[in-house]
Amino acid sequence: MVEKCYIPSSLEEALKIRRETGARPLAGGSDLMVQYKQGIGITPAFPFPVMIISKLEELRGIRQKDDGSVEIMALATPDEISQCPFMPWHVKNAASRMGAIALRNTATIGGNIGNASPKGDLPQPLILLDAEIVLRNCDEERIMPLDEFILGSKKTALRDDEIIYKIIIPPVSYSYAYYRKIGTRKANAISKLSLSSLITIEEGVITDFRAASGAAGPKVIRSRESENILKGKRIDEVQDVLPSFLDSWNDAISPHAMPQYRRNTTRRMLEHFILTAAGMPENQIIE
Amino acid sequence: MIRIDDRIKRVDAVSKARGEAEYLSDLRRDGMLYARMVRSTIPRGRIGNIELPVLPEGYYFISAKDIPENGKNSLVMIAGDWRCFAEGDVRYVGETIGLLVGKSRAVLKALDDAIKITYEEEEPCISIDDSIALKGGAILGEDNVHCSLVSEKGEPVDDVLERADRIIEETIETGFQEHVHMETNAAMCTIEDGKYTIYASAQCPFYIRKSICGLLGLTPDDIVVKQTTTGGAFGGKEHFPDVLAGPLLVAESVIKKPIMLVFDREEDMQFSVKRHPSKVVFRTGVDKDGNILTSDIKVYYNVGAYLSSSYVVLQRGVFHANGVYNFPSTRIRGYGMATNTFPSDAFRGFGAPQTLFAIETHMDHIAAQFGIDPVEYKKRYFLRQGDETVTQGHIVEKVVLNEMLEQVAAKSDYYRKAAEYKRGSGRGIGMSFYNHGGAFTGNGEQAIIKAHLRLRKKGDKFTILCGQTEMGQGFMTILRKIVAAVLETDIGNVLYYNPDTSLVPDSGPTAASRSTMIVGRLAEEAATLMKDHLDEDEAEVETEYRHPEGHPWDQSTFKGDAYLGYGWGVCCVEVEVDPLTNEVKVDGIWSSHDIGKAIDELIVHGQVNGGIIQSLGYASMEKMENRNGFFRQTSMSDYVIPTSMDFPRQEWGLVDNPYEWGPFGAKGMGELVFNGADAAYIDALERALDTTITKIPMPVEDIEGVRR
Repeated sequence: MVEKCYIPSSLEEALKIRRETGARPLAGGSDLMVQYKQGIGITPAFPFPVMIISKLEELRGIRQKDDGSVEIMALATPDEISQCPFMPWHVKNAASRMGAIALRNTATIGGNIGNASPKGDLPQPLILLDAEIVLRNCDEERIMPLDEFILGSKKTALRDDEIIYKIIIPPVSYSYAYYRKIGTRKANAISKLSLSSLITIEEGVITDFRAASGAAGPKVIRSRESENILKGKRIDEVQDVLPSFLDSWNDAISPHAMPQYRRNTTRRMLEHFILTAAGMPENQIIE
Repeated sequence: MIRIDDRIKRVDAVSKARGEAEYLSDLRRDGMLYARMVRSTIPRGRIGNIELPVLPEGYYFISAKDIPENGKNSLVMIAGDWRCFAEGDVRYVGETIGLLVGKSRAVLKALDDAIKITYEEEEPCISIDDSIALKGGAILGEDNVHCSLVSEKGEPVDDVLERADRIIEETIETGFQEHVHMETNAAMCTIEDGKYTIYASAQCPFYIRKSICGLLGLTPDDIVVKQTTTGGAFGGKEHFPDVLAGPLLVAESVIKKPIMLVFDREEDMQFSVKRHPSKVVFRTGVDKDGNILTSDIKVYYNVGAYLSSSYVVLQRGVFHANGVYNFPSTRIRGYGMATNTFPSDAFRGFGAPQTLFAIETHMDHIAAQFGIDPVEYKKRYFLRQGDETVTQGHIVEKVVLNEMLEQVAAKSDYYRKAAEYKRGSGRGIGMSFYNHGGAFTGNGEQAIIKAHLRLRKKGDKFTILCGQTEMGQGFMTILRKIVAAVLETDIGNVLYYNPDTSLVPDSGPTAASRSTMIVGRLAEEAATLMKDHLDEDEAEVETEYRHPEGHPWDQSTFKGDAYLGYGWGVCCVEVEVDPLTNEVKVDGIWSSHDIGKAIDELIVHGQVNGGIIQSLGYASMEKMENRNGFFRQTSMSDYVIPTSMDFPRQEWGLVDNPYEWGPFGAKGMGELVFNGADAAYIDALERALDTTITKIPMPVEDIEGVRR
């Protein structure tokens, strides 16, 4: 009962089909095929036309630019991302823990973003790193911060004639990095809660601090207002401002289920990361 | 030639690994139709109107009205209360109202979506507490009690409690558990040689015929059941295949074409039986030093809407409620409570795991209150040969728990670690002790089953004929190996096929850890008899179950030897809790089991590993909640079971303690290995966090609530 299915052979054709029919792109199918399955022995039924874009070479690959930014094309799989030598650590880490091996070879970054699940693994570190998303239609390219592209649970700013083209992660540097995914089990798991964070300390002063919470609200949570509480502070002031930062972050997140666990754990992880970073001599990743 | 101590490759391993084994959904027949269940969408209420869409040619809606006049709308499990089709009212979400049958599963779904059923809804009763409080009015009788029993031993409990220095009261609860057998439930009905023939992914083909024949006013012999290669069961296919086969049989009587019904995974999760949730209430009388004087225990199981086999599950729960301990006085009262949830039914352990978890955890808590190491404390009460059981029977066999404890303590370095890891340090080690009564309760093997097995010789091949099923546990290998070892021949010369009830004698269900112990023994005896016929080209011998002497049992009062013998287990688990996230890392798992004798150590190893991991999943992550009659976890992404990443390599051991009445000295073991790792894990977790835990499962979010 598929309404109509297209298999474009070029990006240009895909964009044309998209404009003319509104067909939704299907790449790995690891979300759509599950979401619209009808049960055993029945073909999945999509209440909208689809186009299978998994063969489009123009949407493949991962590149590093001269300025150090990383471009991930929409069809890059979590496996490719996790194996990529120049992939920023947070993203690599998140990609390596997505689902099972079969899924990591099937799913795509474009799909993971387009699906806009608050539990999605990749948007969380990408939003931490201020990644931008590049969208295309027949006529033009549009670029916007990923954080603005994802509007809420299962909602994005994608227009009816656009497809996700690529993701750009700007160059990033930090003194300390943190990433945790708490899954329903140790492998092949959906996230119960996730957090990534980074901190840059220069001459005893916090010059950059960012955090991103996954599965703690309708979308990935960044709060510049909370982050600003720490930015510009001296390391020896951290203890004093930490409570107000943690309270502020707690106000920013809005977990619906298991609120006590998600709030307390987020608070403990942030506190641990910041205090450990403040007391550490060298750049490193904090477990 | 094979010897019993050889570790061999499983006879079914290659065909399953290669995907060559044929499962039910692989079957094809000319003109085959598919079926789809039309189910209740409310937990409790009267059915108003069923408005059907226009059915295309060749499509049918089968319901209670299609049961002939001489038939009865009843599936006869142990009780006959489960209706084949709901009629008048519905009692749980997912209850079968009708069966849509036709050629295309897509059309069947569309028809199902178009059916409009109106209900007069009533307030549902979901939990044990709801049921006790008669929420929405009684569902069953006046008190919602499906079944109950009492076991008493020693001086009257109330008298002893009166003089006790302290009475330690607590309630321990366990949740639903889903079987998650790899192959979902599936069955097919057709007519072969003029007889109704059921193909089913099932544990107990003879149960199916007995259960469904009355729907058409037939006798069991009028129906042939053929087991298809079964991809896992864990008890979930003991009685539940009847719920598929019954409606299929009624449909077959109308349509007369092959009809197949295969559950989707999500359908299987939402609409199949589960392990009984339990609530065990203790009032334990102790003296000033913490010595146990008496235990007063109430056991409540959430039975769901229909009794099915729950009375026997409850009996097993009650008979295991004192664990492996000998208290001078006990009273255990069991209640199976009616609710509007999907009926609970058999699941590996069959009622024993819930009460064993409860007593182990309760003992840990008493020990902690008196500042005694729980292992030292429990050891004082270990049952020994000749001791009186809670049913006023006796432990007939030699009990080697102390030896097993020392084996596990040495491997795990328990005593050092228990002293070194301070309570609340984030690290903990825990240990549990458990047993499992082998085979049917009481004299059931004699009074109810009376198993038969035949062994047929043709040329140099021997064919085993019995009703036992392979469901992944390794029984085909076990039984062929027993016969081959007795006959001193190659295992390839011993044949044994998936049972067909028209060809094999009834050797009883593949359940209750009885297959090796009881039917394996029959095979051993048959092979021994066959030795006298080895010079004949064709020969056949048959063996019949004989009850061992010295096991008195009164089924009307539940007094005597509840089981023919017990398997015994010790499990130790070491954990480390992440102070930030509550994630639990299991650093070690050590176990020792007394199963009499291993028929094949490789298979036993698989059962030990699997049983322990399944039990750890039950204690930690396998959360199945029911809200207003609906299971909240409906897929394998929200109901998670452990992967090999969650629990590390296990160290396991066995003790040699041959059982007089088992083949080569073997006792039952398939359920035993599920019965205790949960309590060891929770013991370790409690010590790591310096807290008290009174329910399982305990996923990270629930650990949050018990953190100090």
